[in-house]
Amino acid sequence: MKGIGKNIFIFLSVFSFFSLTIYSPSAAMAAAKADKAVKAAKGGKADAGPKVHAAFDVNKMGDMSAFDPANPVIPKGDTIKIALVASFSGPAALVGQIYWASVLWAAHDINKRGGILVDGKKKLIEVIQADHMSKPDQTKKICERMVLQEKVHVLWGTDGSHLMKVINEVANKYKVIAINTAALSDDLMDATNFSRYAFMSSFQTDQIGRGFAYYYAQIKKKEKKFYILCQDYMFGRAMADGFKKGLKEFYPEAEIVGEDYHKLFLTDFAPYLEKIKASGAEVIYTGDWIPDAANLLKQSRQMGIKLPFAHIFLDEPNFLHEVGVEGTNGLVQLSQYGTENPAFKNREQIKYYKTWNDLWKSKWKTAPYNSRLFEHPTGNIGSYISQTYWLLSVIERAKSTDPEKIIKVWEGDTYVYSTGKIMRMRPCDHKAIQDLHIFEFVPPEQQKVSFNIEPYYWFQGCSNAGPTFTIPAARVLPLMDQKLDRCAGKDNWGAY
Amino acid sequence: MDPTTLMYVAQGIHGLAYGMVLFLIAAGLNVIFGMMGILNLAHGAFFMLSAYLCYQVLSITGSFWMALLLAPVFTAFFGILLERFFLRKVHVMGHMGELILTVGIASIIMAMVKIFWGTESLHIKIPPILAGMVSIGGLDYPIYRLFMIGLAVVVMVIMTLLLYKTRLGKIVRAAVSDRDMVNALGINIPLVFMIVFGVGTWMAGVAGVAIAPILTVFPGLADQVGMDAFIVVVTGGFGSLLGAFIVSIIFGLLSSYGIQFLSQLAPVLIVGFMAIVLAIRPHGLFGVKE
Repeated sequence: MKGIGKNIFIFLSVFSFFSLTIYSPSAAMAAAKADKAVKAAKGGKADAGPKVHAAFDVNKMGDMSAFDPANPVIPKGDTIKIALVASFSGPAALVGQIYWASVLWAAHDINKRGGILVDGKKKLIEVIQADHMSKPDQTKKICERMVLQEKVHVLWGTDGSHLMKVINEVANKYKVIAINTAALSDDLMDATNFSRYAFMSSFQTDQIGRGFAYYYAQIKKKEKKFYILCQDYMFGRAMADGFKKGLKEFYPEAEIVGEDYHKLFLTDFAPYLEKIKASGAEVIYTGDWIPDAANLLKQSRQMGIKLPFAHIFLDEPNFLHEVGVEGTNGLVQLSQYGTENPAFKNREQIKYYKTWNDLWKSKWKTAPYNSRLFEHPTGNIGSYISQTYWLLSVIERAKSTDPEKIIKVWEGDTYVYSTGKIMRMRPCDHKAIQDLHIFEFVPPEQQKVSFNIEPYYWFQGCSNAGPTFTIPAARVLPLMDQKLDRCAGKDNWGAY
Repeated sequence: MDPTTLMYVAQGIHGLAYGMVLFLIAAGLNVIFGMMGILNLAHGAFFMLSAYLCYQVLSITGSFWMALLLAPVFTAFFGILLERFFLRKVHVMGHMGELILTVGIASIIMAMVKIFWGTESLHIKIPPILAGMVSIGGLDYPIYRLFMIGLAVVVMVIMTLLLYKTRLGKIVRAAVSDRDMVNALGINIPLVFMIVFGVGTWMAGVAGVAIAPILTVFPGLADQVGMDAFIVVVTGGFGSLLGAFIVSIIFGLLSSYGIQFLSQLAPVLIVGFMAIVLAIRPHGLFGVKE
């Protein structure tokens, strides 16, 4: 009987493998490649796969029917306090509103579940707006006020690495937890700037650049001539450096036919675009964010330049609609939210999506939350929500708001997002390890491969995510500063 | 023409197009700041307001041409209100009062814009008749950018005729030269200055509409061009339309050819040019020593 059982087991295993290959050969090949890459990165030792410590479970979600980011119900009193440090005024106020909706969503859900048991008591989540006005001095002031007066437990930030640096410094000084979901510079966690109270759950510039290089070298295998055009400051330079480093590593035969850095909030991109046109470039690589990113794409199409852009921020649906289906076709986006196609793999993921999307359609009547920008809980919004859920899960498992207990749980933690994506927190420098995903933008009628539920497209008026490719975490492990004592002698996974 | 020559020619036209937009903004500022001596830090905010008004008119009428006609007029109307009820009163206190007031007005305009149109970026399409490219001697160039150049030239011609060939122009120039004397002749100087202020903000309005289809309209739009316009006024010479025109073109060309040949130094070239001009001629290229 034992022998028969063994034979059945072998037969089923072989059958399953072939079924998988026939059903989805590319997925099986990609999985094999990723496994090989993981082995290579670990010095030949196979990664047994991370032991998952916690996962988002859509079936445990609270009643979200009353949620409206424009009219939030925010608990007061003995709560777990999160200061959302962002620009809520000035030209970048919209960014604060995007964060606000994202963080409130996660907080509302947890509150509807009854809160989190910490220090022997169930507590609700209180989210407090802290406007940094895009200014470093104001960031310091508001963070200190949040810590000293409001007694917040977590500083949640933010748009701008220079501002996140200030947040981390305040967190370090007053020993509170800081979570970085949106500032992407690697320098934030290097030997000079590292704080054990700060956690970088976002992706990072070096990863992004190398991720794109990996995609063009190992997946696309077509374009070879690249033009780098980034904003002329720390972030833009870091984005370019990551890409150049990645090309050297994965795609030595590729050629950088031009490299330029423009001032922030540039009015006229035409002179740069004229150079790009003459350079023979096949792809424009940019780290620009909006409005520069939008103006760059818009003006390029107005000048008849139809080259694809490799980007991370050209996904704001309002301006994509303006550029139209043709103008946005062929854009290539690297995302920290993504997942393999299709986007909705099971009933839970559909349920989660529809919970948000139905509220957007029926309940949110106030600008900007009623606009296209907030239609889908995916992309950057999806990422900010997921990162917040991870933070709250860590606090829940730490059973305390004591930063030392939170640090103990978060270092080396493994958490699974609603998309099924596995996140790991590298213990020595608090940088998130994750697979990244590349979306190729295609017209609405081809978006079904990604958006596999009705209406079978993300947006009807512009191209959007179609074919999606995974960049295995092993290929884009976060940059590690060996000068940081805690990391000395460790490999890029953070292990000896 | 060979491709390299075509590229250089295209860069020249890009420089000209940007210079012309800069001229539209700077000329309005020059009229207000250079001629009337009113320090108006809200000029960029009026430029932004006009872009939003353009969006609004376009949404209602569907016509870019109506927007080009009406948005600058509405902008000028707000400018006139500002001059009549606020600036006129603080003008006697000198530049410090104007500075504080106009910075405050700029903040109010930004706040109002966010209340009425929200924080999201808005988008204005190039009208179909001006969309696409035109081929000139083998060079394919966007029609809309040529339209921007033409529009600026038309505005400059109108302004020149208005200032130098009409009675109103004579009064304005005389009032700028000797306000009290003109007042003694029975001319209503406050009314004249109010009209001039309106014309200045109208020009900012024209620039706002002209540039809206190539840019994202968002609450930070004012910051993108405000400082460049001030540099043009100072370098060209206070009160000189010709100075603003020539310096705008020089800035445009320095910007485009700077990016072509000395990319990293392009922003410095403009400031460097200003520094050299002011070192040699402290009153600007065409400014008159008082």
